[in-house]
Amino acid sequence: MKKYLKATLLGSALAVSAAVVSASADTIKIGFNVPLTGFAAADGQSALHGAELAVSQVNGSGGVNGSMLELVVYDDQASPKESGPLAVKMISKDNVVAGISGSYSGATRAAATIFAESKVPYISAYAIHPDITRAGDYVFRTSFMGEVQGRAGAKLIGEMLGKKRVVMVTLNNDFGKSLAAGFREQAGNFGVEIVAEYDYSIKDREFGPIISKIKADKPDAIYASGYFFTAGPMVSQIRAAGLSQPIVGQEGYDSQKFIEIAGRASEGVMITTSLDRDSSSPETQAFISGFAKKAGYPADMVAASGHTALLVLADSLKRAGSSDASALRDAISKTNLSASTGKISFNALGEVQKDVQVQIVKNGNWHHHSVISDAVLLAPPSK
Amino acid sequence: MLFVDLCIQGVIQGAIYALIALGLTLVYGLLRILHVAHAALFTLGGYIGVLVTNGSGSFLLALMTAMLVVGVVGMSSYTIIYKPLLNRTPLIALIASIGIFIASEELFRIFFGAYGLSYVSPPLQVQIEILPGISLSQARVLVVILAVGLLSGVGWLAINTRMGIAARATVVDPQIAASSGVNVEIIRYGSFFIGSAFAGAAGVMVSLLNNLVEPTMGSVPSYKALAIIVLGGLGSVRGALIASLALGIIESFGTIYVGHLLDRDSIAFAFLIMVLMVRPQGLLARG
Repeated sequence: MKKYLKATLLGSALAVSAAVVSASADTIKIGFNVPLTGFAAADGQSALHGAELAVSQVNGSGGVNGSMLELVVYDDQASPKESGPLAVKMISKDNVVAGISGSYSGATRAAATIFAESKVPYISAYAIHPDITRAGDYVFRTSFMGEVQGRAGAKLIGEMLGKKRVVMVTLNNDFGKSLAAGFREQAGNFGVEIVAEYDYSIKDREFGPIISKIKADKPDAIYASGYFFTAGPMVSQIRAAGLSQPIVGQEGYDSQKFIEIAGRASEGVMITTSLDRDSSSPETQAFISGFAKKAGYPADMVAASGHTALLVLADSLKRAGSSDASALRDAISKTNLSASTGKISFNALGEVQKDVQVQIVKNGNWHHHSVISDAVLLAPPSK
Repeated sequence: MLFVDLCIQGVIQGAIYALIALGLTLVYGLLRILHVAHAALFTLGGYIGVLVTNGSGSFLLALMTAMLVVGVVGMSSYTIIYKPLLNRTPLIALIASIGIFIASEELFRIFFGAYGLSYVSPPLQVQIEILPGISLSQARVLVVILAVGLLSGVGWLAINTRMGIAARATVVDPQIAASSGVNVEIIRYGSFFIGSAFAGAAGVMVSLLNNLVEPTMGSVPSYKALAIIVLGGLGSVRGALIASLALGIIESFGTIYVGHLLDRDSIAFAFLIMVLMVRPQGLLARG
């Protein structure tokens, strides 16, 4: 026994000195697939900054149970073709204790299936497709599902803003479609009449025809799904065409870049999201200031989501006391953590249950508008 | 009213397509090469437009710079990529072109960042009432004016100058043209310059309409412009211009009335297939 102890001590001493060279001998490896090239590279970069910030915060305060965290980062180009093989590589070659997706739904779904089959925990930071957590009980999501946010949008427009005739402009991918489904499901309950719905593709930046038609539709409000790089041009073109109805978007808009693209047209645009920039919570404030310092640009939802997912994992590793996959999985499922995107806990399916933040653009910045905390309305599916 | 409005939106989109498609048609006519990397020049134009406008405050200067620089880059793409491959099969040049295009997207991202760039204070945003009840921003009006002006300028040159006649002769038969004393190389460089400069102008205008230039801005034009020149009849300049306008208008109406079934690209390609079923040689095939 004594001999064994000596050997381990010697071993760990060696490991510490080896760590200076290789930095990987005594660390807990966490896989991170994220788009760093291709069309989603901007979001990927933000998510990575967020996750790296979380790693440095955790390591700066002593790591997890004495070990440092190490991110194993792979560029998945937001493509399932890439993320599938990368998931295999992370699990079998890098021996990660868990994986995090800082990517979009397509890539996340492909990787989630492989993590679930290999029984290695996997957290989706901001991908919204409903099937991700259904891949198996090792998969979790720390952000809202599209449907949940769509329902919140219906409440915001119909009840809180009191607008009844709504035109929907829907991005025709899983993000836009699931938002639209949630919105449509609840529209009637809040007295919202959907006058028309127009679809567009993620490649579109030119909305002239749709805007001409909206002009003729004369709605009270516009519910438009998209990402900052589609919503920025869309909002600026809507206002340039002289339409002044309220525009409600979602977390896809949630970036300073949206305001930069849409310029003055962005004033008054509202979104449902998970990051409240005016929050008094110390976790959120520490994240916002830490992120701006690290990345050199203001924090956004994607960054906060990457940050949150990593902190959830670090917190679970601490509580599990080991990196054993099933212990870690159980620890994640019992999470109750205050993070940059709010209070995180999971339901039986691994979906997060938290309040929806409504943000509004005022004087060129995102600000707090209101919070939607209707647990019944916002309940994610549990199976 | 909506009908007129949608037609106008279609014409604006068609004008952009036409500016991009001209260069592609010229290159195909002269070299029989599908110049996919042309779309990278379009993106480059957008970046120059934003950077020069933000730096100098003059949009006109930005537009001129973009056309000049992109024109020169276009000419050097002929020297560097296509010229060494001319006596190989056109397939090799096509693959090289695709490779350059893909690499360019990542180069733009490395140099200018993944988030893309925007105008700090976008110029030409004042609304002009062009018809009773229909107003457009100055930027949108300028797109059409620019396209009509530049394209008719080239048309005039092609018909009325010795250079233009020589260029058309080279397209019809490069060997006969060369033996009649036409300097084929100068024609090629000239065509690359004009075609690229126009794509650069289109890039500037699109960057202004969207107030965004991003590394992947050229991805749609890279294949859409190919569809346009096929639709027009490969190598036919007039055909490409008509196809651009037709596609702009079809997409404009299609987005509204069949947009929930087909996205903008699918509408364009469905139209392409329908036309090719009736006229396999395209709208205006060259003799």
